[in-house]
Amino acid sequence: MNSERIEFDAVVVGAGLAGAAAAMVMARGGLNVALVERGQKPGGKNYFGGAIYTHAIAELVPDFMDRRPPFERPVTEAGFWFLARDGLTRMTVQGGELNADPADAYITLRANFDAWWAQQAQEAGALLIPKTTVVDFLRKQTGEVVGVVTDRPQGEIHAPVVIICEGVNNLLAQKLGLIDHDLEPATLALAFKQVISLPMETINARFGLQDEHHGLAASVLGDVSLGLPGMGFVYTNKGSISIGLGMMLDQLAEYRLRPYDILQRYLDHPAIAPLVQGGQLLEYGGHLIPEGGYHAMPKLYTDGAMIAGDAAAMVNALHWEGTNMAIIAGKLAAETALEAHSRGDFTARVMSRYEDRLGEGFILKDLKQYRGFSRFLETHPQFMDVYPNFLNDSLGQFFSAYGKPKKELFNGMLGALTNRRSLIRAAGDIVSMARSVMGW
Amino acid sequence: MFHALVAIKQVPDTTNIRIDPDTGNLVREGVPAIMNPYDAHALAAAVEWKRKLNGRVTVISMGPPSFTTTLREAIELGADRAILLSDRKFAGADTLATSYVLAEVIRAVHSDDPVDLIFFGKQAIDGDTAQVGPGVAVRLDFPIVTYAVNVRAIDLNEATIVVERKTERWTEVVETPLPALVTCEKEIAAIPFAPLPDLIKSLRYDPEIWTLAGPVEFAADEIGVRGSPTIVYQMGTPPLPEAGEKINTREAGVSATLDLVFKKAEDAGVLDAMLGGAQ
Amino acid sequence: MTTRRFWVYIEQEQGQVHPVSWELLGVARRLATEVAEEAAAAGDVISVEGLLLGHDVRSIAEEALQYGADRVYLMDDPVLHSYRNCPYYMSIASLAKKYEPEVFLVGATTLGRDLAGAIATALRTGLTADCTKLEMGEVKGASQKLLLATRPAFGGNIMATIVCRKHRPQMSSVRPRVFPAPSRDPNRQGEIVEEEVEVTEEGARACILEFIHAKEDAVDIEYSDVIVAGGRGLNGPDGFKLLKALADEMGGVVGATRPCVDAGWISYAHQVGQTGKTVRPKVYVAAGISGALQHKVGMQNADFIIAVNSDANAPIFEVADVGIVGDLFEVIPAMIEDIKARKEARA
Ligand SMILES: Cc1cc2nc3c(=O)[nH]c(=O)nc-3n(C[C@H](O)[C@H](O)[C@H](O)COP(=O)(O)OP(=O)(O)OC[C@H]3O[C@@H](n4cnc5c(N)ncnc54)[C@H](O)[C@@H]3O)c2cc1C
Ligand SMILES: Cc1cc2nc3c(=O)[nH]c(=O)nc-3n(C[C@H](O)[C@H](O)[C@H](O)COP(=O)(O)OP(=O)(O)OC[C@H]3O[C@@H](n4cnc5c(N)ncnc54)[C@H](O)[C@@H]3O)c2cc1C
Ligand SMILES: Nc1ncnc2c1ncn2[C@@H]1O[C@H](COP(=O)(O)O)[C@@H](O)[C@H]1O
Repeated sequence: MNSERIEFDAVVVGAGLAGAAAAMVMARGGLNVALVERGQKPGGKNYFGGAIYTHAIAELVPDFMDRRPPFERPVTEAGFWFLARDGLTRMTVQGGELNADPADAYITLRANFDAWWAQQAQEAGALLIPKTTVVDFLRKQTGEVVGVVTDRPQGEIHAPVVIICEGVNNLLAQKLGLIDHDLEPATLALAFKQVISLPMETINARFGLQDEHHGLAASVLGDVSLGLPGMGFVYTNKGSISIGLGMMLDQLAEYRLRPYDILQRYLDHPAIAPLVQGGQLLEYGGHLIPEGGYHAMPKLYTDGAMIAGDAAAMVNALHWEGTNMAIIAGKLAAETALEAHSRGDFTARVMSRYEDRLGEGFILKDLKQYRGFSRFLETHPQFMDVYPNFLNDSLGQFFSAYGKPKKELFNGMLGALTNRRSLIRAAGDIVSMARSVMGW
Repeated sequence: MFHALVAIKQVPDTTNIRIDPDTGNLVREGVPAIMNPYDAHALAAAVEWKRKLNGRVTVISMGPPSFTTTLREAIELGADRAILLSDRKFAGADTLATSYVLAEVIRAVHSDDPVDLIFFGKQAIDGDTAQVGPGVAVRLDFPIVTYAVNVRAIDLNEATIVVERKTERWTEVVETPLPALVTCEKEIAAIPFAPLPDLIKSLRYDPEIWTLAGPVEFAADEIGVRGSPTIVYQMGTPPLPEAGEKINTREAGVSATLDLVFKKAEDAGVLDAMLGGAQ
Repeated sequence: MTTRRFWVYIEQEQGQVHPVSWELLGVARRLATEVAEEAAAAGDVISVEGLLLGHDVRSIAEEALQYGADRVYLMDDPVLHSYRNCPYYMSIASLAKKYEPEVFLVGATTLGRDLAGAIATALRTGLTADCTKLEMGEVKGASQKLLLATRPAFGGNIMATIVCRKHRPQMSSVRPRVFPAPSRDPNRQGEIVEEEVEVTEEGARACILEFIHAKEDAVDIEYSDVIVAGGRGLNGPDGFKLLKALADEMGGVVGATRPCVDAGWISYAHQVGQTGKTVRPKVYVAAGISGALQHKVGMQNADFIIAVNSDANAPIFEVADVGIVGDLFEVIPAMIEDIKARKEARA
């Protein structure tokens, strides 16, 4: 009955940020593109913090602001919160660059954003095929990829080039032999968060935001992760707050920690609880982040296929940057696919141009530079414990009038740190932090 | 060749509905729209028989343009043709006016391409009325079998079907001449995981949209609000059940606790039921 | 002078009357009383009337008089022996055209819903489904009181009150067990009017080939008066043996939450809730059930809910008529003993 062969010029696996970007660029280049997504809708089950960076969006959709993207708020205030056991020190920046319009980053909810993003690909002519999971590849005798196999009956799609953007999984990458092992817990962070609904005015008042056109994105260090490597986050949406944290998967397993308990403890913290008080829980969810960085990346291409985004571990853990890398990588893979079509050559020789393109931009450079960061927090637990507490105590003292000479006070504060950690070692910490970030 | 017709409604997923605690209104925003589950099963049954008898399936629906999503899904599940009745003037219809419009459309389809069997869902989960199916059958003067759980046999030569229907008391096996209308329970057929070609076909399919302008003519006083004898007079949220008394066995002791339970049961008039319906 | 008729469909199958019929006679009587003053002022007569179709069912007509009907229209004919949509709706529609009732109530049973939708369409009138509240009330612009029919919609999240202004009869199907049955007065008299049946066997257009009765052992939690349900708090399949003992003592059946079914502690036929059965028993015992929304939607309409949970903050207590904060393994056995003792005391 339905025996017709399904053929496209290219197949993209996964309608996330990378996938829709790749589909968009190829469709604009005149290819007949199938964008296969396992979810009911793009973004339906996708999760992130989070903020999305406009430099990447603008590269694909320069007039994005006119296309009414479903942004929650621009990031007009960003920085770190240091959470001590009983206090909070905020180190955030606002104004200047952060006042740009359109802003450099926007807080979003993925379910909305991904749908819009995929819509851009559809408008460019790509066919979004939802509710369908790619489970394998069609290959020539010679091994060259010539399409995908989905989980549906009669589910083969033929295409000379496939771009894998399956997100944090590496199932398909393994099937192609781009990587030879399962994801390693030590390279994965499990991030979990709640979306808590609150009236817009309440959010503005609690976070000191002028109106709904101002938003906060904060990374939270300290008493969030029980002294283990990990980082929390807070994002203000329009009428809700995204709040959560990420910790390394191996550690969660080792200490038998239940994500929900840790998150609850964080939400009950005396400095956090008043921020979310009275809110209604809208959703709770978790998602993995590939934080292995440069060393954990698979081979990026083979005959007839390329891989982009989280699937290729393109995430900068410190900056919570992944979306922009995914988008740009998707675009570069798509450009390579277009080149392959124009040359009529889909072998690794042409596909390797994808890695060259990545090397020219920021992605590989950043990933190389930050390659040490994921293990940095692990070897420096003081960032989760000593420093946040020190900051709180000392600033607390600084801003209290004790009726003592200030000199005594400063000595006391310094004492507070040196009791916890010697000055020399503190200086060393700062150097190694810088090293992991700067990639020295 | 066998021709089945299925009436499909798009409904808000009532399992996901929230009420705004301040206004008491339904929060429609963010409530996913789905194909009425009973209709999905009815469609699955129609498609099973289409495959067995090498026939075709037409689906119809009345509703706003957003219903096209659900009609596309019907194509994915194996329907061959989808018609949406969409016009502002159809809005506000109660079951009587809905049955009028659907019956007129079915008549039109039937006169071009005779329909053997019409499938409806048992009921739509937003209104839960179960009235439209019987209404359409009466208007078309077709025999009806409600609460169908299994279509045992379709005999196109004899123009009869044998259907099992489940009532509160038993299951009846009923034989009825064709053309006929059945309203379906979920057991009628499992919803299939559609083959990829059908999914792709549905993504590219645009349902036919019929309006007041044609191709069917409708009597103005039978449609929409004008054609609806009933009106919604008031809406409200149901009173929250008042939480009853709570009693802690550690404080009161188990036997005193149970005494209270039986006392309350007596007040509520269910003591007999608690004691095994004893007289 | 006109007669304002309040009609009730007396539902019977194979000589067995569905109790909702008596409940509706009680409702019709009350509705009639609500317009008594208005009718008296206009010089109108009020009549509560039953409608009975079947074969060899005259005794049921008499029973209907005893439950409060002033008059019963009886259509007794072999063609009406078993319920079939066509002959029934056609017969009733022609009767309604003849007598022009003002209000017509039908039980919201499978049979009643099959029938009511067809009658209403044949009469081109309004029908409100599955009502839980009925009254005669003044509506602006109407010269007489109208039937205000209230029903749940959107999965029970909203209550809507529906009126049918111009068309007659004003029809409602009504949920069983929402209204109390009136008491039966064996001395009550009334009129039984035998009506001609015009439909022939050919016009029935359906032939019932067979009745299949459910197997004895199949649980029928939907229609049980007493359900003793358990959740994850039971800690395993053995917990259900304990509940079965209580259910047996109470003459009821065992229900369960989904995780218990998923874990294989008990079969799916016992599952109550959104993806299981919706039940409305007289008594629902919830033991070791937290009271998730998906479970509550399936059982919150029970007449009387007893919850046993060790956690005083369990949401199940929000719907319970009486909440027992305690260990079910202590409470349930004590309850079994208690019921035994009470039954003995009664005997
Ligand atoms: C809690 C959290 C906070 C974050 N915060 C930020 C932030 O603030 N800013 C930022 O830039 N980044 C952030 N990130 C990282 C960012 O979300 C990811 O790097 C980015 O989403 C990667 O995009 P992608 O397209 O590669 O993968 P995804 O967005 O995960 O998309 C993959 C898609 O493929 C589909 N899919 C998977 N397998 C198959 C298959 N076999 N067949 C068909 N479809 C399939 C999935 O359903 C999914 O839609 C955060 C991540 C997390 C978890
Ligand atoms: C789409 C969907 C559909 C669903 N459909 C259904 C459905 O149809 N039916 C259904 O039931 N669920 C359904 N669920 C699941 C539902 O959300 C809940 O998970 C489930 O009802 C919880 O079951 P529980 O109360 O048995 O378990 P739990 O929530 O684990 O509760 C166990 C309770 O037992 C108490 N307890 C423990 N020990 C004792 C003791 N010794 N004495 C007294 N109390 C004790 C605890 O305090 C706790 O409150 C559905 C979920 C989804 C997402
Ligand atoms: N607007 C509609 N369009 C198409 N079919 C409908 C519509 N409304 C009701 N139906 C059909 O009638 C059945 C019963 O609906 P209801 O009487 O509203 O409970 C549904 O399961 C559908 O098959």
